[in-house]
Amino acid sequence: MHTRMEIVLPRLEEPMAQSVVRDVEQRVSKLERLMNRFDNASPLAMVNAVAATQAVELDGELFMALELCEVFRRGTGGYFDVAAAEQPRSGAAYLLDGKDHTIRLASADVKIDLGGFAKGFALEQVCRMLRESGVESGVVNFGNSSIAALGHHPYGEWWPIGVANRKCAGAVAGEFRLCDSALSVSGMAESGEYHILNPHTGLRVAGEELVAVEGRSALVAEVLSTALYAAPHNQRAEIMGQYEGYRATELYCRKDGTTERRLIENNR
Amino acid sequence: MNRKEFLADCGAKGLAGVALSLFPWLESCTPKAQQEIKGEKARIGIIGTGSRGLFHIKNLLQMPEVEVVALCDDYRPHLEDAAQYFPKAKLYDDYHRLLEDSEVKGVIIATPLYLHGRMTIDALEAGKRVFCEKSMAFTLDEALEVYKCRERVGGVLLIGQQRLFDPKYVKAMQMIHEGKIGKVVGVRNYWYRNNDWRREVPSPELERRINWRLYSEYSRGLMTELACHQLQNGSWAMGMLPEKVMGSGSLIHWNKDGRDVYDTVCAIFTYPNGVNMTFESIISNKHFGMGEQILGSEGTIDLVTAMHYTDEPAPKGSGMHQLVEQIENGLMSNSVFAGTSWATETSALAPGLPIMQNVKVVSGESSVGAEADGSKELIEAFAHAVITGKQPDKVLEESYYATQFALLADKAMKEGAILTLDEKYKIPYEPLK
Repeated sequence: MHTRMEIVLPRLEEPMAQSVVRDVEQRVSKLERLMNRFDNASPLAMVNAVAATQAVELDGELFMALELCEVFRRGTGGYFDVAAAEQPRSGAAYLLDGKDHTIRLASADVKIDLGGFAKGFALEQVCRMLRESGVESGVVNFGNSSIAALGHHPYGEWWPIGVANRKCAGAVAGEFRLCDSALSVSGMAESGEYHILNPHTGLRVAGEELVAVEGRSALVAEVLSTALYAAPHNQRAEIMGQYEGYRATELYCRKDGTTERRLIENNR
Repeated sequence: MNRKEFLADCGAKGLAGVALSLFPWLESCTPKAQQEIKGEKARIGIIGTGSRGLFHIKNLLQMPEVEVVALCDDYRPHLEDAAQYFPKAKLYDDYHRLLEDSEVKGVIIATPLYLHGRMTIDALEAGKRVFCEKSMAFTLDEALEVYKCRERVGGVLLIGQQRLFDPKYVKAMQMIHEGKIGKVVGVRNYWYRNNDWRREVPSPELERRINWRLYSEYSRGLMTELACHQLQNGSWAMGMLPEKVMGSGSLIHWNKDGRDVYDTVCAIFTYPNGVNMTFESIISNKHFGMGEQILGSEGTIDLVTAMHYTDEPAPKGSGMHQLVEQIENGLMSNSVFAGTSWATETSALAPGLPIMQNVKVVSGESSVGAEADGSKELIEAFAHAVITGKQPDKVLEESYYATQFALLADKAMKEGAILTLDEKYKIPYEPLK
């Protein structure tokens, strides 16, 4: 997933914390090995290499992940698409066979990229593991763009998480109060690259805004922030209308340190 | 900030519990010490009611435990300015008369440097409890004379080294002594301004009285007026005193008005373990302002901005450290780290972390004083000592050496020599750590 995970677990005995974090590390590493398309040994790299010519049978977890991706693709008007490419296709890019747990790619130029999904998927699992280990309070930060909070801050009723205004050092674009909830932020990459594609046009989305989504599930928040950023402004409310309990905000950061915040209406 | 908030500001509960063993001179800030003087009054006389004296007066007005009963200045306009604030105070133009006033229990001396030593000794010998502005004295010998006088007559003597009472310095030094920046490997101090350092003179014959800072007959210039504050940081952080001093000073820009003190100075103080502390001051360029930085083998603490920088942030660029540090300090505030994906090849420069909340950063531009720089707390500690007669622990020795090394550096500049402090000037010294 090409980033780092940081976990803050206050008021937890150190041996217990170390044990929990070791388990988390193992779990996330396993997902990394499963979903990293840049790792030639990963099942996903195998799919990208050969599934255009033959059906590839998948590990149960990877298949389930791809099924979820397909559900989200349909649930976001196609704006969340793990097969998005600069040459858009008219038909389906891949076909999942639920009976045999196999995948077929429509053509050799289709590549599955779980980059916009894996962090949310892993974060969801990490939170569950922490809860099952008895952790009542903590924050998990996955590469700054996906953050999940368990319970509340030791000195407050929520975890105050600020989104940085990258156009003005030290300025805050928005503060979010997380409590048993998650936050995901999408937009232009830190490097200045517009890396998110509009799956329908194949064009890189060059929006200046950040899209921040908060809600119960780290996975849904991650998927939604990517899809909303990729979608034209006039379609964002419609996408949000399909998700109850999520709140999306567009953050227009300015060089003078101020930020215009626009809530994306939910057309439910 | 009021007295009750002082220890809380030093880092909430965590520091309040340990501060008194590490910082015993702060004892007067505790609720217990406050209770001790409840209902009592510190009856104070002020000698020197110019700009710095007025600065103290404005703080004194906020202290219910203080009653200013006498004022003294031989420059009438300054005396009248001060008298407006205390209509009942007796007015003197000769400080000897003020010292004879039995109602005065404590005196605040805010006069030109060359008068500090004589006035302090006279006040101590008159049985007064004394606060004197820094630097402690005009010469190395005179500073020793003042120290020995205090030893001989007992009583209270505090010098205006207010950083010792500034919560952000107290917190920073605690972190340094706990090893948060590793081994101290350097101390950098600088103080830049861009002004002529002059006060308006209503009549030419008053030039040297009003602009005494500019003449070596009355002043040691930048070393005693500015460096003295910052040099004390080194000893506080290092837990030892410098071994040798070298430096250079010149008059390079404001050299057409008759002054004879340097307007640019640079000094190096070397400690017994080889670590250097530098002090540089230029008053014809202010771009970098005031800076006081303790450099450690694992990080840096900027005392002026109360920021902590680690040399090897792991992982780089993470605001999560801020969150952890806040929790450790019992704080909750916005942790700003969220944004679009961080990737290993795009790590940003590591941001510094504030060491405490609500830090008031002082620019160092004012030559009178600044809000929230520890001055008020220091005067409150003095008022407490006027009532109780108890000398706060350790601070006099710290102030003594700050003065001695400022004076020694000035001497090194004038002689173009590397100097060590003569044995005869050494007094018992217990490091602040």
